[in-house]
Amino acid sequence: MSISQTVEAAGDGSGSEFRRGVTSCAPVLFGTIPYALVLGAQATQKGLSTVELSMMTGLNFAGGSEFAAIQLWTSPPHIVLIVAITFLVNSRHLLMGAALAPFLRHLPKRKVFPALFFMCDESWALGLADAKQRAAAGITPAFSPRYYMGAALAMYLTWVAFTTLGALLGPMLGHVETYGFDMAFPAVFLVLMRGMWTGMAAARPWLVSLVVAALVYLFVPGAWYVAAGAVSGLVAAWLMAGDA
Amino acid sequence: MIDMATLLTIVLMASVTYLTRTGGYVVLRNRTLGARATAVMEAAPGCVLISVIAPAFVSKSPADILALAVTLVAAMRLSMLPTVLIGVASAGVLRHFIG
Repeated sequence: MSISQTVEAAGDGSGSEFRRGVTSCAPVLFGTIPYALVLGAQATQKGLSTVELSMMTGLNFAGGSEFAAIQLWTSPPHIVLIVAITFLVNSRHLLMGAALAPFLRHLPKRKVFPALFFMCDESWALGLADAKQRAAAGITPAFSPRYYMGAALAMYLTWVAFTTLGALLGPMLGHVETYGFDMAFPAVFLVLMRGMWTGMAAARPWLVSLVVAALVYLFVPGAWYVAAGAVSGLVAAWLMAGDA
Repeated sequence: MIDMATLLTIVLMASVTYLTRTGGYVVLRNRTLGARATAVMEAAPGCVLISVIAPAFVSKSPADILALAVTLVAAMRLSMLPTVLIGVASAGVLRHFIG
């Protein structure tokens, strides 16, 4: 009990922390909308109903794996393949949660477990970056749960609402690629990566991932390129850490 | 309407995804990592993100490659919103004129 009181006392007004989270997430939300519409539209083309698609994005809430699942979707779906790919695409969450763990030590588990449901690339990146800044500024606790939840809930509601809208509009949208909206996806990811940039040496595993993923994409059918690229980058990081 | 096989797939997807979200926290809550493991962990998010968008780098459409180059330059200099707008606009315009 004293722990949560400390957290609330440390925030400079709980409402404003939540709002600060929503605000810092706003540009990301804008980039997410076209991507959400595309997913919804593609899902209906693959034969999913709007309710099914909303359930998927609302319960799973992990865009990359949902795109992969829809890409691989057949009727009936290959359950094992789709669940395995979902795990592989989302296995990065294991590392993200691990990176966040030291900042969550002061929080009770009953708050951490629900909050982690909403951990996506964007809310994680914003929450972690904010915690590092606050730590550098000497604010304790460094992690602001309300800031994180502001960003995370804004992301969640936008994702579920606009994927659903995409499914409803799907038959009318046709091929969204024609207008260039699909480029929002690389754009968002490249900006997130720039935020993680700490120098050429640290980025070498990324290059390995890019090359391997691209080759696997070109020569191996299916969505294996994500797993192959990610794993080879991690192996490269492991090996390079030795000679540094 | 909801198909049973679809429902099962979605519930299983959601379950493994939640396990990935909580797993790192559960395992590493009370531990500190060694140098190699830390290096792997720091590289991981970028490795995953770049792998997901790798197909865009080997697109067979010249317009897409040019648009990606424009987006990459924008991403190195600008914040999220302008980069997304430039990326989408350049892809739309280049595809229209180059195909």
